[in-house]
Order: sequence, then C-alpha cells, then structure tokens
Amino acid sequence: MSCVFYPGCSLDSTARDYYLSTQAVAGALGLELPEIPDWTCCGSTPAHQSSELLALALPAQNLLAARGKTVAVCCAACYSRLKAANHTLAHDPKARAAVAEALGADYDGSTPVKHLLEIIVRDIGLKKVAERVVRPLKGLRVAAYYGCLLVRPPEVTQFDDPENPTLMDDVLAAAGAETLDWPHKTECCGASYSITDVSIVHQLTRDVLAMARDAGANCIATACPLCQLNLDLRQREIAEKFGESFDLPVFYFTQLLGLAFGLKPAQLGLRSLVVNPEPLLAAAGMLGEQVAGQRQGCTGCGH
Amino acid sequence: MSTEAQAVCSVAQSDDFVREVATASGANLAICLQCRKCSCGCPVAARSDLKPHEIVRLVQLGERDGVLASRMIWECTSCETCATRCPQNVDIPAMMDALRQASRAAKKTAATTTVPVFNDIFLRTVRRLGRMYEAGLMASYKLRTFRFFEDMDKVPLMLRKRKIALLPHKVRGGAERKRLFDRAKDMEGKSR
Ligand code: SF4
Ligand code: SF4
Repeated sequence: MSCVFYPGCSLDSTARDYYLSTQAVAGALGLELPEIPDWTCCGSTPAHQSSELLALALPAQNLLAARGKTVAVCCAACYSRLKAANHTLAHDPKARAAVAEALGADYDGSTPVKHLLEIIVRDIGLKKVAERVVRPLKGLRVAAYYGCLLVRPPEVTQFDDPENPTLMDDVLAAAGAETLDWPHKTECCGASYSITDVSIVHQLTRDVLAMARDAGANCIATACPLCQLNLDLRQREIAEKFGESFDLPVFYFTQLLGLAFGLKPAQLGLRSLVVNPEPLLAAAGMLGEQVAGQRQGCTGCGH
Repeated sequence: MSTEAQAVCSVAQSDDFVREVATASGANLAICLQCRKCSCGCPVAARSDLKPHEIVRLVQLGERDGVLASRMIWECTSCETCATRCPQNVDIPAMMDALRQASRAAKKTAATTTVPVFNDIFLRTVRRLGRMYEAGLMASYKLRTFRFFEDMDKVPLMLRKRKIALLPHKVRGGAERKRLFDRAKDMEGKSR
C-alpha cells in the first residue's frame, strides 16, 4: 500500500528511537514511509487549548500536503489532532470555511489518517507479521499500554474498543510475546504535564507502572512518544518518591517487533531507553550471540 | 434589590455564561444529568479543586468567576475519558478548552498554573520554526517561570540518550506560517 508518513515533533527529537524502529520495521514488512515534505507541528495540546482555528488549520495544512494519500502516524497525540481536525472539517461547514480563510486553501477532511498499528493489523495483516518473525518474543510478559488518545473519543479516532483495545496485543502476540489482560491499558499518564506540573505525571504514571507490575508484566509496550517518555524517563524518580521499585523496561511496540524480526538493537534505537532492557532481553535470549561475544562494558543495546 | 429580583438577575446571568460557553465549545451543557460518571473516571478529579460534573453545574448556574479561576481547567489532561463515557455525550474536554480561553481573556487564570506560559512559548516556537524545538522551549519556559532547577538533572541524560537536539530545525514556508498565525488571531479576535 502507498502511504506518506507524518512523524510529528516528538519522533523528530525525544523519540528518535521510535522513528528509527518504525522505519526499520516498516521496511521489513515492505511498507515504504516517505515523509510528507516540509511537514509542520500539528499544534498538539497548546493549540487546542488556545485557539480552535489553529488547532484545525495546522493539521489541515499537513493533511493537504499529503495530496490524498493515506497518512501514517506513530504519535498518539498527533494522531488524535489529525483525526479530530478531519472529523470537525468533514462535519462542520462553518469551521471548514474559517480554516479555508485562514489557510488560503480549502480542505474537506477527507485525507485518511491511520496509526501504524492499524496499518500493520488491518492492511498488512498479522499473518505477514508472523511469517517475518525469526526470534519469537518468548519470555516477555508485556503490558500493552495504549494511553488516551489512540482510543478516545472513539467516534473520532475509530481505532479500537475504547475500554479494552487489543490491536497492540495482537501484533505482539503474533511476534510470540505473552500479552497481559490488565486494567490500565487506557488510563492517562499525564502527558505534557511532565513539563508544567510533574506531580500530575508522577501520580498517574505511578498508577500505571504499579498496575503493570502487579499484573505480572516484565516490560511495557507503548505506541506513543509522550507515554513512553513519562513511563521510562520518570520511572526512577517515581520509584524514589513512592518508595517502590518497578524495573520495567518501556519499549515502543516497534522495537519489540524489530527484535522479533531479528533486526539489530542499533537499528531500533534501544540505547535511547532509560530503564536498561538488557537484563530482560538477555534472559529471554533476544540479544543472541552478538552480545555474549562482545561483553566489554558496552553491549549489544549500548547500555 | 429584592431577593426575587436577585434570583431573576442571576438566572439571566447564568443564561449568558452557559450560552457563551456552549457556543464557544459546541458542548451541550444543558442536558447534563449530574450522574457524575465523568468525575468517576477522571484522572485528576481527586486532586483538583473542582470535579468535571461540578464545573458543568457551576457553568449552568452562571458562576463565572469561580469557574474561570479554578485550578481544574488547567489540571484537566484532555484525556477524553469523560466525553467517552458520558451517557449524554456532553463534550467536557471541548468545554474545558473554551473555559481556558475565557479564563485568559478575563485575566482570571489561577496563579498556580504555568500551562498558559508553556502554551504561548510552544505556539510561538511553531510559528517561528514550524516544529517544536525542545531545548529552546525548555530554556524559554524556565526563564519565564523561574523554574531553573526543576529537571536540570535530566539534561545530561537526555543528551546522552539522544533525546534532545541542541540546534533547531527550521521548516520552509516561514512567511506563510506567520500569515496563518496572524490571520487566525485576527479572525478569532473578531468573533469573540
Ligand atoms: S457524565 Fe455527562 S451527564 Fe453525567 S454528570 Fe458528567 S457531564 Fe453530566
Ligand atoms: S478530559 Fe479532563 S475532565 Fe475529562 S476525564 Fe480527562 S482530565 Fe478529567
């Protein structure tokens, strides 16, 4: 299938590892993801909190630049903004006229937007994923964490069941992982309050980490750069603040998929993870001989 | 003024406020049942000063100042849980966006929040560069909010883990971008 890729600002900076692993896994599945030329920020939360017009016009500009091709997205926050703009512009003629005036170009909300998980499960198919697996993710008990914006509001995103989504579980199960039935799949992590009021993130992220641990997970999989950053980068300070221990590596689902496909840790950006995934991956035999052979301080995934 | 007259006035006022918020947000606030399902699933209801169902009620009652000065409108994470579960489809997240804008326009914003400062810097960065630029964003935010030391311990780690770039990336189309931001401001200023 033919897509264009909207990476979004996080994949361009804090989530370079998500970008790398996305491109590597897409390549392995025969999916080309050329970027929309000169894409710009979707406006994220600051735009919808400040100006409805900008919150619609910034996504519309990028969706126009896709020239009718399906737009593939990996960031749940960008996904939500692009989908919300499509929904409003397709249903509200007044908003559409205002955006046309502000942008100097009319956009009708019709460019298809899909998250990479939807493309993998619904367009490429789990059969193809399973065929590509050379190193099944055995020994990984994964809590698949979807967060808020992929699933909500369901009439806008039409992603999956808003209370119990399974798309990410299905992909990881096809790659041989054990995925857990756990209740915090779609709880909020606090997202961008990481900067403005970290106490919100501490509390919410702590609840997600504790529930994953108590459900028996030995790692977490995410499909959003904001969720990943909160769960991974803040894990140590949360453990200290609440006097708990988690030690849960927090992967992008694309990194786990890439490992199952036999791709190298460097291609998947594993060294950008803050909680060291190496003990878990080594115990599961996922790092192979390449690590055992060169155990001199720095290892296969760079930790 | 007689009690009766006061009651009539407050109903009239409440009509104004609820209509204003409903128009700005598109949320149908009149049909709320006060069932509290929104607040039960809200991740910040327990810590904030007002719960989502209370905000809806206070807007209906015309409690303009209390609502616009509340912490809740700045602590809501826009997680959309309330809107997804509400039996009446009341669009609370859209209401929150409208209240944030009204709160700033009326200069009532709770002193405890730094979200408006962050939002302004974020949007100014996008206007100028076309994309977010974390290092610049954090530097300006810290200068404006005097939170110099918060998270400074994360900087070396984030550089090592290649999570922040020191130089911005500027996207082409700067002139059109500025025009878009200016036009949006003019248009929204007029309609408000
Ligand atoms: S869930 Fe809906 S109907 Fe119930 S209190 Fe909240 S806004 Fe009102
Ligand atoms: S969108 Fe805001 S009010 Fe609604 S549940 Fe989430 S945090 Fe609470």
